[in-house]
Amino acid sequence: MHERSLVQNLLKQVRQIVAEQGGGCVSEICVQAGDLSGVEPLLFAAAFEEMVPAVFSEECQLKLDLVPVTAVCAHCQHEFEVLDFQFHCPECQSGSVDVIQGDDLQLISITLEPKDSHEGVSA
Amino acid sequence: MSQQTIIVKRDVQAEQKADAEVERVRLGRRGTLVVNLLSSPGSGKTSLLEETARHFAGRRSMAVLVGDLETDRDAQRLAPLVPVAQLTTGGACHLELPLVQRGLTALGDPAVDFLFIENVGNLVCPASHDLAEHLRVVLISTTEGDDKPGKYPKMFRTSQAMLITKLDLLPHVPFSVEAVTADAQRIQSALQVFACCSLTGSGIQEWCDFLEEQHQLQLAAYHEPAGNR
Repeated sequence: MHERSLVQNLLKQVRQIVAEQGGGCVSEICVQAGDLSGVEPLLFAAAFEEMVPAVFSEECQLKLDLVPVTAVCAHCQHEFEVLDFQFHCPECQSGSVDVIQGDDLQLISITLEPKDSHEGVSA
Repeated sequence: MSQQTIIVKRDVQAEQKADAEVERVRLGRRGTLVVNLLSSPGSGKTSLLEETARHFAGRRSMAVLVGDLETDRDAQRLAPLVPVAQLTTGGACHLELPLVQRGLTALGDPAVDFLFIENVGNLVCPASHDLAEHLRVVLISTTEGDDKPGKYPKMFRTSQAMLITKLDLLPHVPFSVEAVTADAQRIQSALQVFACCSLTGSGIQEWCDFLEEQHQLQLAAYHEPAGNR
């Protein structure tokens, strides 16, 4: 179960960004997990709920979007969605394909509230 | 101040990946090829490393970082053959770079030809963590069944080589080398496949030849003049 380690990295990154913004109260963190990211959504959400109060507040919500794996064929440049983890171009059958989306966990956005609206939520 | 949404769009592991790249370049420049070995528990990683150490003895230098949840049993097996450091995760299912760096420090940061990382036995979590390796090798033993690549796609997608182990048991188990190879190469067409048996020594020469070839190929970029990089 490595989701805890990923949540730890996420919260560290969010804290740095909030500090760069001059502080604020984090009300929502949006992340995108690809099918090839190795993230199990339920475990990730559970780890987030457990770990977020130590950094922000229980009111800080996680929005987790799942994205399919997409790839581009190195041979014919065709872009396609990878189904059932079969990494072959449906146009030319080449196995030489590069993943362009869906192999990582991305922090998409952070929503900051005015400091006085959520007491104790600030970074 | 009103509500504000800050768009980030950044890999959550960006910092860890950048740290790993720095370490990879540092080790590569001094001639150390880092090989991350990943597999299920009991697939034969330690036996493979014992045979690899015997093969390279007196010709190539190597060191091993052994990842386990508990005990230093594997490290004890390897210690008579090569410098080895135990990385005990205390229950964590995978290794991360800071632990690997701590192990390197414990070894005295030796300038060996090959640094092997024997990852924690697990086909899931270790696939998501860059340990500064130049080469990622997944082992699958004949006793595990030939359906594993499709079940653990990320592990096979992110590896450059697959080593089929315990080949001596092939006559006794329902395992097809052709089926597992086809399954894995549907996920990663460039995956290089080897088969070996550490007990009989079969395939060890080919495996070590592959390591030699990778040492030359992968580290060549680090030997170029700085202006060409």
